[in-house]
Amino acid sequence: MREAFIHTKDLCYAYTDENGTRQPVLRGITLDIARGEYVAVLGHNGSGKSTFAKLLNMIIEPESGELVVAGKNLTSEELTEEDFYALRREVGMVFQNPDNQLVATIVEEDVAFGPENLGVPPKEIRARVDAALATVGMTEYARHEPHRLSGGQKQRVAIAGILVMEPTCIILDEATAMLDPAGRKEVIETVEALNREKGITVISITHHMNEAARAERVIVIDDGVVIMDGTPREVFSEPKKLMLAGLDVPQCTSLVHALRAEGVALDGDPVTAEECAELICRALEV
Amino acid sequence: MAVLSLDHVSYTYGEGTPFEIKALDDVSLTVREGSVTGIIGHTGSGKSTMVQLFNGLERPMQGRVLLDGQDIWTEPKKMREIRFRVGLVMQYPEYQLFEETVGADIAFGPRNIGLDEEEVARRVAEAATLVGLPKDLLDRSPFELSGGEKRRAAIAGIMAMKPEILVLDEPAAGLDPRGRDIILNAIRSYGKHTGATVIIVSHSMEDMAAYCDDIVVMAHAKVALSGTRDEVFANAEALTAVGLDVPQITRLALLLRARGVDIPDGIYTVEAATRALRKLFGKGRTV
Repeated sequence: MREAFIHTKDLCYAYTDENGTRQPVLRGITLDIARGEYVAVLGHNGSGKSTFAKLLNMIIEPESGELVVAGKNLTSEELTEEDFYALRREVGMVFQNPDNQLVATIVEEDVAFGPENLGVPPKEIRARVDAALATVGMTEYARHEPHRLSGGQKQRVAIAGILVMEPTCIILDEATAMLDPAGRKEVIETVEALNREKGITVISITHHMNEAARAERVIVIDDGVVIMDGTPREVFSEPKKLMLAGLDVPQCTSLVHALRAEGVALDGDPVTAEECAELICRALEV
Repeated sequence: MAVLSLDHVSYTYGEGTPFEIKALDDVSLTVREGSVTGIIGHTGSGKSTMVQLFNGLERPMQGRVLLDGQDIWTEPKKMREIRFRVGLVMQYPEYQLFEETVGADIAFGPRNIGLDEEEVARRVAEAATLVGLPKDLLDRSPFELSGGEKRRAAIAGIMAMKPEILVLDEPAAGLDPRGRDIILNAIRSYGKHTGATVIIVSHSMEDMAAYCDDIVVMAHAKVALSGTRDEVFANAEALTAVGLDVPQITRLALLLRARGVDIPDGIYTVEAATRALRKLFGKGRTV
């Protein structure tokens, strides 16, 4: 078992609406996420998945329960402001709208924004910015204006802006939702490489089942509780349960389920087209 | 109802500057009356420009935009009328909600047409029902709605104007699967209900396969492929060649065919694949 990077127990969050009524969003989330894991979090709009993500670097504070991130107990009374800043350096977030998270007029200045605020020496900033832009494949755009970039490029710049803070965990809150297939692919491949090569923990909140299928682990949140937690194969093997949670499964998975329902003997729950072709060819003996 | 077509249309951004980009290059096409037509293509393929030409937000630099055979730019003063006939829902339309209540926001368009209050109220109720917004939401502030509900309210605002041609730019972007299905079903039923032509711009091949009758594929400022859904998806290789994703199920069918499985062309839904494979597994192979 890898070291737990995130630990939650009975984590709850609620807000108070304009009539003063308590509206629960998270109703007791208990889970551990190990250092270096690549986790996809699924759930329909309003399921609480984004709220969960926002708790992880204390954009919002939990109502009750345990929340430990990077060895720090975030519900402890003794937490200082300095601890919050340290946490946010460690856990970076990329949001949905690429236009809402770039602040500077030149790409490299935007990436430098974080370390500049921390008072990192200029020489080191230069080195970190160059390295971060190279990692996300945006070096040649260093002097470009962010507003002329494509959506996928903007999100990669946003990721570079997190990398310069030398984080151990990146949270993507539907970071690919507004991108086209090509942009989505750029971002996913960038994040997968960070996970693989630098061991950065990745938590990706998404609506794209094909994206979730590439993760190591899938967590499904519905109505503020975790209803499924396992490998993509395990989670997608229960299409009915996912449908009830307002989600769907990859087309190949539903095909195999439909065929099985009609009496065709197929074992296994493929999530990709390649796995599915393999399974069908084997069954047809071709 | 009306027929919309483009006749040798070209459009260039930043003409004569270093940032010159050709968005549409001699494009001709006719959208079949009463159809649900999907326009797909990469970012930068020209689809959003095309949509803005459809209702006269942009003027073609060459060529004509024809509504029922009439050039919409012959009398620019009548553009207002054209925009009532060709309704455009832009990307992320929920950012454009501005009234104090959802009902007032939906009523804005029909009221501007000059309809009487009784008719406006009827249109609002009708459009809200079509997109599945419960009555009690109509008195609420748009800011109290969920993202999916806001999107539906914004679309209802255009539907309430009863355009003969309803054009939507990425209506399902960023929604969860349930929200996406609700919206796309509502859009389809608007077409059925009114006989109007519906044009949907999207990146999602899977949505296009499930909801459109005809499909236009844009690439490099030109029409790369167009026809009925069957015709376009039978050309999966051509789609892949212009860098578009085919639905996962279509990719599976191609992989199977490459390995010698006798599976027919034009598989783009799970149902069609299930039927085809059921036959192959048919004799004696089932439990």
